[in-house]
Amino acid sequence: MIPKKKEEIHETVEPQHPAKKPKKKKMKPVPPNKKLNTGNQNVTGYAFISPFLIGLFSLTLFPILYSLYLSFTDFDLMGTPNWIGLDNYQRMFTEDPTFWKSMKVTFFYAGVAVPIRLVFALLVALALNKVVEMVGLYRTLLYLPSVVGGSIAVSIMWRQLFGNDGAFNSILATLGLPTHSWLGDPDTAIWTLIVLYGWQFGSSMLIFLAGLRNIPKTFYEASSVDGAGPIRQFFIITIPLLTPVILFNTIMQVIQGFMAFTPSFVVTNGGPVNSTLLYVLYMYQRAFEYFDMGYASAMAWVMLVIIAIFTALIFKSSEHWVHYESDAK
Amino acid sequence: MMKKFLIFSLMALVLASVLAACSNSDQASGEDSDGDSDVTTLRMTWWGSQSRHDQTQEIIKAFEEENPDIKIESEFTGFDGYFEKMAAQASGNNLPDIMQQNFGEYLNQYADKELLADLTPFVEDGSIDVEGVSDTIMESGKKNGKLLGIPTGTNALTAFYNKDMLDEAGVDVSDGQWTWEDYEEYTTAISEATGEYGARLMEPKNLFEYYLREQGKTLFNEDGTALGYEDDQLLVDYFERNLELEEKGAIPNYDTIQQIKGVEDELIVRGEAAFDFRWSNQATALDSAAGDKPIGMTLLPGENNSQGMYLKPAMLWSISENSEHKEEAARFIDFFVNNIEVYKIGGSDRGVPIKEEIRSELSADLSETDQKVFDYIELVTENSSPIDSNFPPESSEILAELTKIDELVMYGELSAEEGAEQFRSTVERIMSR
Repeated sequence: MIPKKKEEIHETVEPQHPAKKPKKKKMKPVPPNKKLNTGNQNVTGYAFISPFLIGLFSLTLFPILYSLYLSFTDFDLMGTPNWIGLDNYQRMFTEDPTFWKSMKVTFFYAGVAVPIRLVFALLVALALNKVVEMVGLYRTLLYLPSVVGGSIAVSIMWRQLFGNDGAFNSILATLGLPTHSWLGDPDTAIWTLIVLYGWQFGSSMLIFLAGLRNIPKTFYEASSVDGAGPIRQFFIITIPLLTPVILFNTIMQVIQGFMAFTPSFVVTNGGPVNSTLLYVLYMYQRAFEYFDMGYASAMAWVMLVIIAIFTALIFKSSEHWVHYESDAK
Repeated sequence: MMKKFLIFSLMALVLASVLAACSNSDQASGEDSDGDSDVTTLRMTWWGSQSRHDQTQEIIKAFEEENPDIKIESEFTGFDGYFEKMAAQASGNNLPDIMQQNFGEYLNQYADKELLADLTPFVEDGSIDVEGVSDTIMESGKKNGKLLGIPTGTNALTAFYNKDMLDEAGVDVSDGQWTWEDYEEYTTAISEATGEYGARLMEPKNLFEYYLREQGKTLFNEDGTALGYEDDQLLVDYFERNLELEEKGAIPNYDTIQQIKGVEDELIVRGEAAFDFRWSNQATALDSAAGDKPIGMTLLPGENNSQGMYLKPAMLWSISENSEHKEEAARFIDFFVNNIEVYKIGGSDRGVPIKEEIRSELSADLSETDQKVFDYIELVTENSSPIDSNFPPESSEILAELTKIDELVMYGELSAEEGAEQFRSTVERIMSR
C-alpha cells in the first residue's frame, strides 16, 4: 500500500509544474529515474513482508492447492499419486458409513457446543461488565482456560477428571450420587467433549466484553428514565447493539467447532464405538493410520465446502438480525 | 503494571512455545546438524513402554562408547502414534536411519513401497553377523526376496496369569493343557472366588487370528486377497464367548479397557484380572509394574493350541532406503544382535535373543522374569506351527475395523451374527478398492 501511495503522489505532483516542463527538457532522464526509485521502494517493501509472503505461498497456498490435487488421486503417503478422478468423493458419499457417522457426530458437536459456548461467554461477559473492582484479575482468570484450552495437557486432564476413577466420579461418590463411566458410555462421552468446548469460552467472552463496553451508557440512562427494567434493557438495547459482535463470534466459533480435533483425539480417541469420532479425527485416521491421504484430502475439501456454506448462510441471514449503528439513520 | 506484567509473561510463554516447536522440528529433520565430519549422526526410532525407552537409551550409550565415531539421536513414542509418525516421515523421504519395524502388515506395506534397504549385502559381507540364527527366524524378515529387517528377538502370544488369584479359585493351567471351555469355566470361577475379573477382555487383533489358527483356519487367504475362512460362525463363537463372560461379570467391557493407558496400567498389573493374553516380550514391563504379584506364563487355551501358537519376531530392525549412512546403521544392528551387553541391559524386552550363543551365555545370570520368558519360548518352540505372513497392505485398516466391530458387539449395538456379517462385508469392501 505505502509504495503505491507514493507513486500516486509523484504522478499528481508532476502535472503541477507544467510551466517548468520546457525548461527541464534536458533533464528528461529524471522521471524514469524516479520510477526506478519507486521500483526500488517497492522491492524494499516486498522484501520486508517477504517472510510472510514466503510463508503464505509455500506453507499455505501451495499445500492447499496440492491437497486439492491429491483429493483426485490415490496418494498413500509413500508412493506416487495416481489420478483416479472423482473416485474418492464417490466412495465417501456412497460407500463409507464411517464418514456419515463422523459427519453426524461433528454436526451434533458443533450444533450443541457452539451455542453453549456463546451463551456462556455472553453471560460471563455481562457479569464482568458489572464488576467494578479487580476486573483485570477476573478477566485474566476467566480467560486462562482458553489460553491453555486447546492444548494436549488440558485434554489429558479432562480424561483424568472424567475417567472411571477420576475426580468427577469421586465427587459424585462422596455426595452419595451414582457414579458413571462418562468416557466409556457412548451416550455420555460426546458430552464430556461438549463441556470441554463450552469451558473454553475465554476469547469469545473478551470480544463480547469489548462489545458491551462500546454501548453508550446514555442509552441505558435514557431508557431507565422511560421506565425500562434491566431485563427489558437487555433485550432492547444490549442485544441489538451487540449483534455485530454476536455475528463475528458465531462465525468464528462455528468454524472452530467444525475443525475440533484435539479433544476427541486425546480424550476419547473417537471411541467408544465411534460416538466421538469428529470429522477431523476421522480425516486424520484415514490419512495417517490407513495411509489414505488422497481420500483424506478429499474429506478436507468437503469440510471446506461445508464450512463455506455455513458461513455464507450466517452472513446471508445477518441482514435480518444484525443491527449496525452506522446504517440506522 | 499488573496488566503489563501479564502481557509480558504471556508473550514470553508464546515465544517459548514457538521456540520449543522449532527446536523439535529441527531434531526431526536434522540428520547432520553437527558440523563434525568424523562423527556420523544416525537417527533411530522405536516404540515401547517406559522401561524399554530407558533400556534402549542405555544400549545406545554402550554402543556409542564402543563406536565413538557414531552418534545416535533417538526418537521414541508408545505404539499408538508410532506408525503415523513414520508415515509422515516416509512421505517426506525422511525416515530414520535405523527403524524399529513390525512384522506383518507394516513390514509388508513398507516392502511394497520399497522404503527399506535390502540388508542381504551386509549379512553376506559379515557386517551384520547372523551366523547360526535359524532360517525360520531370518525368513520372517524377508519379503519379496529381500531381507528387510533383522528380528530383534523371538516372541509368542502368551496367557499371562496371576498365580495367587488362580490358587484362590483352585485352578492350575501351568502345563498349557486347557480348552476354551476350561477358559470359560476358570475365568468365571476366579471372578466368583476373588471378586475381581477372571480375565481381561481379549483384544481381537491378535486373538481372533489365534482362534482361527487354532481351528485350522487363517485370517487371510494364501495370496492375501480375501478372508481365509468361509464360516462366519467362527467369529460369532468368538464374540459370543466374550459376551457371555462379560454378562457374568467375569471379564470387563470396553468402558474399562478404554481407561487403560499402557502396559503399566493393565488390569493384571493392578490385581484386577487374573488372565491377560498378550505378547511374551511384555513380561518385563508387566513384571516390573506388577510388583510382588506372581505372574505366570502359559500357552493360550484351545484343544489344538499347538496349531494355533506360533513364534513371531518381536520386532525387526530395519534400515531405511533413504538413509545416507547405511553402513553405520548396519553396525548398530550388528551390535544389537551380537553384543551380550544389550541383553544384560534389555533382557527379553525385545524378545528372546535370536542367537544361540547369546542365549546360552545369558542363561547363567538371567533375571527371574527373563528366565521365565526363555522357558516359555522354549515351550512354544515345541508346541507351535509356522507363522502366517499373508497380510495384505490393507490389513491395518481391516484389523482396526475388527476392533471397531468387536466394540459394537460388546456394547450390544450389533448382535454377534450381525457383527460377523458386517466384518465380512467390510473386508470385502476394503479389499475391492
